[in-house]
Amino acid sequence: MNMRGTLSHLPREARDTLFLLGVIGCVLLPLVPHLPFWASALASLLLLWRAGLALRSRPLPPRWLLFALLVLAVAATLGQFRTILGREAGVTLIAMLLALKTLEARARRDALVIFFLGFFTMLSNFFFSQSMLTAVAMLVALMGLLTALVNAHMPVGRPPLTVALRSAARMALLGTPVMVALFVFFPRMAPLWGLPGDQLSGRSGLSGSMRVGSMAQMALDDTVAFRVRFDGPDSALPPQSAMYFRGPVLSDFDGREWQALPIRDTPNTPALLEVQGPGIGYETTLEPHQKPWLLLLDASPEGPKASGLQAYMARDLEWLSARPVGDVLRYRATSYPQFRHGPLAETRTLRFLSALPANSNPRTKALAAQMRADPALTAGGTQALVDAALKRLRTGGYEYTLEPGVYGEQTADEFWFDRKAGFCEHIASSFVILMRAANVPARVVTGYQGGERNPVDGYWTVRQSDAHAWAEVWIEGRGWVRVDPTGAVAPGRIGQLTRLRAPRGAFGSAVDSVISPGLAQQLRAVWEAANNRWNQWVLNYTQTRQLDMLKALGFDAPDWQDLVNLLAGLVAAAALGGALWSAWERLQHDPWLRLLALARKRLARAGLVLPAHLPPRAMADAVRAHSGAAGEPLAQWLLELEALRYAAHDDNPAPRLKQLRRRFATLALPTPSA
Amino acid sequence: MSSIGTADTQTSSTGERWRTLASVLNPAAMVRRRFRAWWMARLTRTDTTLLTQRNVYILPTGAGWMLALTLLVLLVASINFQLNLGYLLTFLLAGSAVAGMHVCHATLRGLSLHLKTPAPHFAGDSAALEVQLSSERTTPRMAIALAVQGSGQWAWTDVPAQGTAVVQVAFAPARRGLHEVPVLTAETRFPLGTFRVWALWRPAAQVLVYPAPEPHAPTLPPGESAGGDAPTTQSAGSGEFDGVRAYRRGDPQKLVVWKKAAQAMATGTDALVSRDTQQSQRSELWLEPGRTGLTDPEARIARLCAWVLQADRLGLRYGLRLAGTVVPQGSGAAQRLRCLEALALC
Repeated sequence: MNMRGTLSHLPREARDTLFLLGVIGCVLLPLVPHLPFWASALASLLLLWRAGLALRSRPLPPRWLLFALLVLAVAATLGQFRTILGREAGVTLIAMLLALKTLEARARRDALVIFFLGFFTMLSNFFFSQSMLTAVAMLVALMGLLTALVNAHMPVGRPPLTVALRSAARMALLGTPVMVALFVFFPRMAPLWGLPGDQLSGRSGLSGSMRVGSMAQMALDDTVAFRVRFDGPDSALPPQSAMYFRGPVLSDFDGREWQALPIRDTPNTPALLEVQGPGIGYETTLEPHQKPWLLLLDASPEGPKASGLQAYMARDLEWLSARPVGDVLRYRATSYPQFRHGPLAETRTLRFLSALPANSNPRTKALAAQMRADPALTAGGTQALVDAALKRLRTGGYEYTLEPGVYGEQTADEFWFDRKAGFCEHIASSFVILMRAANVPARVVTGYQGGERNPVDGYWTVRQSDAHAWAEVWIEGRGWVRVDPTGAVAPGRIGQLTRLRAPRGAFGSAVDSVISPGLAQQLRAVWEAANNRWNQWVLNYTQTRQLDMLKALGFDAPDWQDLVNLLAGLVAAAALGGALWSAWERLQHDPWLRLLALARKRLARAGLVLPAHLPPRAMADAVRAHSGAAGEPLAQWLLELEALRYAAHDDNPAPRLKQLRRRFATLALPTPSA
Repeated sequence: MSSIGTADTQTSSTGERWRTLASVLNPAAMVRRRFRAWWMARLTRTDTTLLTQRNVYILPTGAGWMLALTLLVLLVASINFQLNLGYLLTFLLAGSAVAGMHVCHATLRGLSLHLKTPAPHFAGDSAALEVQLSSERTTPRMAIALAVQGSGQWAWTDVPAQGTAVVQVAFAPARRGLHEVPVLTAETRFPLGTFRVWALWRPAAQVLVYPAPEPHAPTLPPGESAGGDAPTTQSAGSGEFDGVRAYRRGDPQKLVVWKKAAQAMATGTDALVSRDTQQSQRSELWLEPGRTGLTDPEARIARLCAWVLQADRLGLRYGLRLAGTVVPQGSGAAQRLRCLEALALC
């Protein structure tokens, strides 16, 4: 017997169990890359074991064994993560619980626990990815879970799973308007309590430290970091290529990771900042990012102004808030693109900023020594060294890529000599290491560069994908000078209105070789447009967007109470709609039956009470018996009503029914025969 | 048998009485009882009922509350981790649950229930009420359960689109007599099990329950003369024979009606029948409580019931005399029904 035949002849219980196991497999599969190896292996073994038991109709394992497995899983999780409360540990535990619970489905309550654990597991998938593909996969898994749940509530016979699927799909379809309304109007709020600190995803954005080369691939995250509205006309703005929004400054390098100097190590002297030229006033709407830094255009001596905001400037020009930004924050600031910053003469601190760990990047150090030995460069001072390094980047065959692969221990060596490819953090880090090796004080600055002007409302949108890392070099007599080495490698990364798109990976290249380039380009354009829409409408639907939408709906000063009122209004409208529909549905009952019921009601009012199940012929007999010859027309009418229903007709019965209804109105009601 | 049953109730009734007393004194139980009585009084008795918005009730189940808790946790997780897809999942689930609530309610709403006239049966027999469920809807209605309220013995069925289904609801009253059909409950938890939708229905029909016949009852009493004074002495002499009677010890073999005996064997009873020469003419068989030789009234009725069945099986003419009721002499199915009914109702 073939596979399909075997499956269709399984007993119902075995079939249902196998289906549920398949769905659970679908829910767990996207988690496999994020779970520890032992957890994935244990989960798949447990599911296979359960499937084997179901196929052979064997009894479930004893409780003590499951308990032992549970203890083992919890212990392994503890061993791996040192906690069971973090996000990754929690996800591992939930996956383990789900797999274990399948072996314990004794009562219906156990089955329900499986469904609810399944919903949690689906949500945990979103910690790792919220892409469209994940959404589609989880929608399929949700339909599977709902189908299994519906199927569990159909105890009669062995209905095909498609019946349950249709039922589940119908519910999901009917539930979609509810989902849309809630998604749009449910007030978005800040996290209710602190988030566990573990970082999971390699997304573009700022993190306060930079471990170069640890991410093989940089996903461009299109969510909005902040929006800016400038006061003056566009002509007064600096060019987009000069818009550097300063975030954390990373000065401390341990050979592998760049970190900001701890506040207590920063000498307690004010930042040395002199501004020149006209200032640019602007208003920034910062999305919550749970970190203290405030993004400002370089450089702002006065800093951001907002009610209740306590901000201070760190020594390296970075502006920090006293509390992490946990809510949408709107502030005003004035920045001066022309500024001078830092000491003009060498200080002790500056020497610290040209230090490198002893055994770090020997080849880069050799390159620096070689450059310093060049008499032409030595004569030109620091500026000549910087220019030489930038020239090397421009002409040395260096490439900008978002998929550089994982780097080894000596990242600068690898970048300068072996791979010659990377994105801004590789380039900036390698550049700063080269400068430090040449005994030039240098540091990495992270923040956002550029942005996108919306021609409709004039707002500049800066996204997480605009996150950037550049370098600052100290030059005697000029102070700290910004150098963006990425611009030397990929001029397009800086200063163009269209932001850099993620380059093609292996899959994209393979597609290109099969499909004609034109079509591939179109397909990619469609895919990107869809992705962009997804980001804009689903992932990027934040409190700001929500309040903007309320404004568009005509609310002057929208707040969350308006959202609640709107939701309540929608619920009321839905209830009213439901009542109307219910009334309409009542009208949709069989018109023939309704006419018969009307006749019965009239007869009852006239004193002839007949039971509801009586057919028209029996009613006619009753009318004749009740009022004799006087009831004859009514009896005839009843017989015609019967003929309309049961005699063979070719034509449409509707007009004849209408005629009968009209005649009924003219009929005399029966009176008891004497 | 009935005496054993009585003894059983006697032993368990002490605990029960305390429980009853406690429930009488418990104010919550009293309120509940009052409420139930008031509710039942609102229901009119009818054999055919159409379930509508007005008589279909809905409440969340334990699983429903569990789902609500799950949704709350999902929502908090979505808020705390700022997961917009988490919001979508939570709200789609919530929307599906709301749609499921309507689907659940619609499963019973618009369904019509009709109780087929219940056939009389003997006490102690497993008997069932036949309920016909009919639906005008163009889609099938799934997983509807019916039971006598409070019995917990659910009979499940699906009702096809624009069709009918018949379910047998177990109902076996222990006592003889004319019983009102108890309140029936139709229930469904389809499709998600998160809501319980139910309807209560008081059918108008009544069920006649005959007394349980005494097993291994002694043979029929002898007939009495047409005058009705005293039983005639048996004279099994030769001559014309017109009727048959139950075999009595000492009957000669040639008097046994072997044809009937074969039939009796085939049906599982091994009652032998002898030819009766004079009895049918001269004596009448009257079944009376006084002739059972028992004192317990229910035991007497059980024996009389067994005798009626026995006499009917033998095809005899017989009559029944009870306090206040007399079923005149007769035979056949109609006579049997008359006698059983009289025994059930006396």
